Amino acid sequence: MWKVRIAVPKTAVAGEVLTVKTLITHPMETGFRRDTSGQRIPRNILSLFECTLDEQPLFRATFHPAIAANPYLSFRLVAERSGTLTFRWEDQQGKEAKATHYLEVTR
Amino acid sequence: MSAESKMKPLTRRSCLRRAAALSLVSIMPLPARATPQTMQIAMESAFGDRPITPGRVNLDLPALAEDGNSVLLGVSVDSPMTKTDYVRFVQLFSPENPLPDVARFEFFPGSGMAEVKTRIRLSADQTIVAVAGLSDDSLWSALAQIRVVEGACLDGLI
Amino acid sequence: MKTRRRVLKDLGVGAGALALSPFTARAADSARAARSRVVIIGGGFAGASCARQLRIIAQDVDVTLIEPSTTFTACPFSNLVVGGLRRLSQQQFSYRGVEAAGIRVVHRRAVDVDPVAKRVRLDDGVDLFYDRLVMAPGIELIWDALEGYDEAASNRMPHAWQAGTQTLLLRDQLQAIPNGGLVVMAAPASPYRCPPGPYERASLIAAYLKREKPRSKLLVLDAKDNFSKKPLFMQAWQRLYGDLLEWRGVSDGAAVTSVDPGKMTLRTDFDEFKADVANVIPPQRAGMIARRAGLTDASGWCPIRPLTFESRLVESIHVIGDAAIANAMPKSAYAANAQAGLCAQQVARLLADKPPLETTLSNACYSYVSQDHAISVAGVYQPDDTAWQAIDGGTSALDAPDAVRRMEAGYADEWFRGITSQVFG
Repeated sequence: MWKVRIAVPKTAVAGEVLTVKTLITHPMETGFRRDTSGQRIPRNILSLFECTLDEQPLFRATFHPAIAANPYLSFRLVAERSGTLTFRWEDQQGKEAKATHYLEVTR
Repeated sequence: MSAESKMKPLTRRSCLRRAAALSLVSIMPLPARATPQTMQIAMESAFGDRPITPGRVNLDLPALAEDGNSVLLGVSVDSPMTKTDYVRFVQLFSPENPLPDVARFEFFPGSGMAEVKTRIRLSADQTIVAVAGLSDDSLWSALAQIRVVEGACLDGLI
Repeated sequence: MKTRRRVLKDLGVGAGALALSPFTARAADSARAARSRVVIIGGGFAGASCARQLRIIAQDVDVTLIEPSTTFTACPFSNLVVGGLRRLSQQQFSYRGVEAAGIRVVHRRAVDVDPVAKRVRLDDGVDLFYDRLVMAPGIELIWDALEGYDEAASNRMPHAWQAGTQTLLLRDQLQAIPNGGLVVMAAPASPYRCPPGPYERASLIAAYLKREKPRSKLLVLDAKDNFSKKPLFMQAWQRLYGDLLEWRGVSDGAAVTSVDPGKMTLRTDFDEFKADVANVIPPQRAGMIARRAGLTDASGWCPIRPLTFESRLVESIHVIGDAAIANAMPKSAYAANAQAGLCAQQVARLLADKPPLETTLSNACYSYVSQDHAISVAGVYQPDDTAWQAIDGGTSALDAPDAVRRMEAGYADEWFRGITSQVFG
């Protein structure tokens, strides 16, 4: 299965704008390459990424084959309250990978 | 002295074969590029005939990339990101790739800042297009030119 | 157009500076001068070689080479110095051979270029006038491109990407680490000087550790996924060094984003590493004088017309070597020397109102993978309107027996002796 890496601060002060970085191992096969015998290698890509805080959406990305292998994202979110951040990737077949991170927000 | 004379010469074809065997060829050799029509269709299907104004979007790409397989791209939009005035999305297009669509990023007031970095693939020199859609339904854009060193074969060898 | 005197006056150059310069006195009647003047900035493999070849081809041209340093320290083979296998003095060459060949060598720094007046200003205020200028300024390291990595930081975390004291610093730090220490190398994204250089260095550092401190480890954190001769390096590393050398690419989140020289830490997007020795090779761009002269584009490098190496941005100035965008030719000493030879030909022809020569160029880069084993890559390039296109090329074979690798190490040694005696002998 895909290996996921997340970098996000453990704690934050309310109102602070944080940077979140994510990386997931995935070939993002474009569907345009051919193997050594000339056969077209079928497309196999992650098509969706979503970050939510207790169900509330904070950021979403739709990917096409032009996203490099092992998709990397760095994005921002504002720390309003403590809660569980969920990171979810979905491939073109609907198979998914998930990671969670508890964010503690102090006043 | 000639260094080459001492080496087993390789034709470009065998070089390509070798690179393919090592799976170094991966910058989308075919089709060569999106046609102007597919680019137009991609833009129209996303935005119809709504006006797009240059500005408010900052698109950050290196001027020169030697490896088109992985190019760091940064995009941000000037916006207060409040509940009533925020960036809904940013969409990226690559007119010289086989497919013009690259990615679409959606933001929410809780995003804090509309700023994303990711790594993209580029199969040729081109001008990347970023279009931002705001909560007032206005559309804004930025362009960034990038040169991509050709030759997936030699890319892996030199 | 301004007269020369007027331009000099505008620039506030006093008579004192002029008096020091027999060249400017001669330049005063440039319109009537029978001999053309070519000024070459930078005395490395590109500049010094171009000067010598031009001297031979065009006897009626005055050739002046500007190079601040009186000793040239070669980068190729300096990784052997890092690995404790070679003395730095074996990398060093004087300009006596260049001078003996009939070239005027001025050991000054070029600080400004006026492309309208066709004049180069030196750091002592002296002006040199040219009919054609050849720029071979090499590279400049971009400080602070990696957060925390400035010139001061390079005293704790050497780059060793411009050979000399930095090379010795890295060597000495390696020799001082305990058995069991961690060496971390940060390799830059392309383009940069010497594409296989970081990996040859990694090999020779690993060879040193294996020999002297076998419980130590070398971790290479790379800002890219693909690099020159990667399959060959990877194979050699696995065979020779096993777990002692680990390489991680940008797709694994390995690109170094910041360093702390005080704590000797390097940060990536997802990890922090504490190193006993940190070799940080920062991003690079064309040497400073190229930017001053307006020769660089947004990439920081100099766009050229491939066939003549003439700048796309400024007339009558040619750019060769590492500073030029000569894609797909790599930034190597071999390529610099090859470009220098052709550029000398083209400059001589342009001065004589002849059309430029149509030709191909070649490159070869050797890399040591251990003390006595080497691998190589070679290419042939043809110019079109936009670039030097690769038309042929290849590398050493994978799985080649040790005897072949040893033979290639011999060729590498021959190549180095050949190019240095040709350019500096």
